[in-house]
Amino acid sequence: MSRGLYAYAITRDRRIDLAGPWLIGHRGLALVVAEVETERFAGLEFDEPAEDSPLAVLARYHDAVVRAVFQHEPVLPLRFGTVLDGVDAALRLLGARHEEASAWLDRVEGRREWGVRVRAAAPAPVDLDALSGTAYLAMRRQRLDAADAVRRGAASVHRALTRRSAESTCRDLAGDVLLEGAYLVDVENEEDFHAEIDRLTRELGLRAEITGPWPPYSFTKVEFADA
Amino acid sequence: MDNRSSSLADTLERVLDKGVVIVGDIAVSVVDIELLTLRVRLFVASAQTAREMGIDWWENDPFFAPRSAARQLAAENAELRDRLAALERALEENRP
Repeated sequence: MSRGLYAYAITRDRRIDLAGPWLIGHRGLALVVAEVETERFAGLEFDEPAEDSPLAVLARYHDAVVRAVFQHEPVLPLRFGTVLDGVDAALRLLGARHEEASAWLDRVEGRREWGVRVRAAAPAPVDLDALSGTAYLAMRRQRLDAADAVRRGAASVHRALTRRSAESTCRDLAGDVLLEGAYLVDVENEEDFHAEIDRLTRELGLRAEITGPWPPYSFTKVEFADA
Repeated sequence: MDNRSSSLADTLERVLDKGVVIVGDIAVSVVDIELLTLRVRLFVASAQTAREMGIDWWENDPFFAPRSAARQLAAENAELRDRLAALERALEENRP
């Protein structure tokens, strides 16, 4: 069995009890790590997205550790499956990226990520036999207009929420999803942020799915090397 | 902060596709992360298309599948032509 040092996150070097993972500290920064058998990660598959699949269990655990740290300190989550050579490698990384990592931690401190998804509503089924040709064309036009209005509404939701967050990002859209946004929101502005979602969705007749709070996963896309 | 309420897709998408990436000699490659991430992206995209609506709700909706409407209209047309023909025959027969 080969063993490695699984790294979950970069945070500030404080005393945090994590029941398992521990912190390797270096000049005020720390890497949250745990020893793992690397075989657990070999051949991970993503066929069935079931809760009890090995990938799901490991990903949920990764998220749980990041969240446990995030409860106490600002955190830079590392991408799933980051395994380091050993403690020396961890110290080299923290040393080489000290300034950058500190700046990133300052940037996300006191903020949490929220996900907002807006879908197009499935239109009500229509009995075509009961429709004349004119009525059918009118319905088609009315639905095109409605779809257009909903798309514009989703875009205005994104603009309004972007104004109420420190940072925002939008994922590529697929299927019936009209908005898939992530927002990094100051904790003291969260109430205002959620009130704005409620107000806009009511006003525009949209339904929003909200996820979160998340650690700032979507706002820490950066590469760190040890040199 | 319990996270059971977040869907597995949302969690996987963030944990696998986001966050700080460590590169260079210090990182050991233990998992084909690119492949897993690609699969998760595909899963998320397809889940978005089909989720909660049943996979085929649009198939019989004339707006999203105009061809199903065309088929129904063609059938309606044929039926109307038959009825018209029947009426014309009836008229012929009743002519003095």
